[in-house]
Amino acid sequence: MTGGNQPEFLLGLLERMIEIREFEDGVKFLFLEGAMPGTIHQCQGQEATAVGVCSALASDDFITSTFRGHGHALAKGLSVQEMLDELFGAASGCAGGKGGSMHMGNMDKGMVPAIAIVAGGIPLAAGMALSFKLENKPQIVACFFGDGAVAEGAFHEAVNMAALWNLPVIFVCENNLYGASTRIDQVMKNTRIADRAAAYGFEGETVDGNDVLAVHEATRRAAAQCRAGKGPYLLELLTYRRTGHSRRDPTHYQPKDEKQAWFARDPIDRFAAQLQADGLIDAEGVKRLRAEVTKRFEAAVEIAKHATQPTLADLETDVFAEKEVA
Amino acid sequence: MQVKMKMPDLSTTEGTDIAILKWVVGVGDPVERGQVILEVETDKAVQEIEAIATGTLSAQMVAPGDKVPVGEFIAAIEVSK
Repeated sequence: MTGGNQPEFLLGLLERMIEIREFEDGVKFLFLEGAMPGTIHQCQGQEATAVGVCSALASDDFITSTFRGHGHALAKGLSVQEMLDELFGAASGCAGGKGGSMHMGNMDKGMVPAIAIVAGGIPLAAGMALSFKLENKPQIVACFFGDGAVAEGAFHEAVNMAALWNLPVIFVCENNLYGASTRIDQVMKNTRIADRAAAYGFEGETVDGNDVLAVHEATRRAAAQCRAGKGPYLLELLTYRRTGHSRRDPTHYQPKDEKQAWFARDPIDRFAAQLQADGLIDAEGVKRLRAEVTKRFEAAVEIAKHATQPTLADLETDVFAEKEVA
Repeated sequence: MQVKMKMPDLSTTEGTDIAILKWVVGVGDPVERGQVILEVETDKAVQEIEAIATGTLSAQMVAPGDKVPVGEFIAAIEVSK
């Protein structure tokens, strides 16, 4: 089942998915405790899309993300600490404490600070890919967005240009069936989003987004095409959000039987079972891994709670680009 | 150790009070972190509030019919550690 992949690699995928789940659950309770202000958009249930895609990218490849970006950030290599610091508004946060939940990112780690406008990252990703192409760089961009973004004009304009110019960008649609509370079949006639690629003359593929290895393999193929100058590529990853659109959303619109069917396909439980069947880890090992991840998260929370906040002097920094000296 | 729970910021309109509908867990009953203990209604929807710690619910500090601002104490959990 797990193919020719190395055990360390496979166990690494599991650990990263558990880290994302723990991060999101932990942050949920920090919000409920009132320790964290504002709202949050979480990705419990969608761990395999983030980890599957990012594990197939090089460290200097880039991703763009959305307001539901915590999983993408952790998968691209941002640390739990720099993200928690960011959520607590600390100067040591990945955006200096000025971005918060919806703007996680770290350019040194290949993640453009997340863009909270639906479909906002799609033209940006095409632009980055164009610059890579013009400068003959080997890098590619993976651009995450949701099913709700597909009806935006920005999607159609950007994929059209990317197709026309064969840009090295993978458009990654996390299709979780709902744009906020609106079900996908209420807003589009053809709900197979991968079909959109054909309309613009490039390749699209629908993948089980709750199967981390399937996502990884599909992304590897897409990345190889992009690097060979045969981009772009559209990956539609079918997945499901186990939580509200935001913390203030009780998800009354998700039917119970639909929820149960998807919860039974939980990406972490499924992959853990697969690794156990292959003898790479046992149930006790999975439990231990979860406990270790929880412990690390709790330690990071304590540090973040006492991290230094930005000062008034920081107000004007990071606002304008520094002038380059020739 | 006692953990006091505050009304979470569930309202979509800043400054609106949140109505208490129904307690799901009684005083003296065991609760687990993540278990629904209380139903409330915001300006937008009925919402469930989850316990933030595992232990025994030791106090219900609001009653059905109350309108409670965000941040007010709503419950106490006796944590057995």
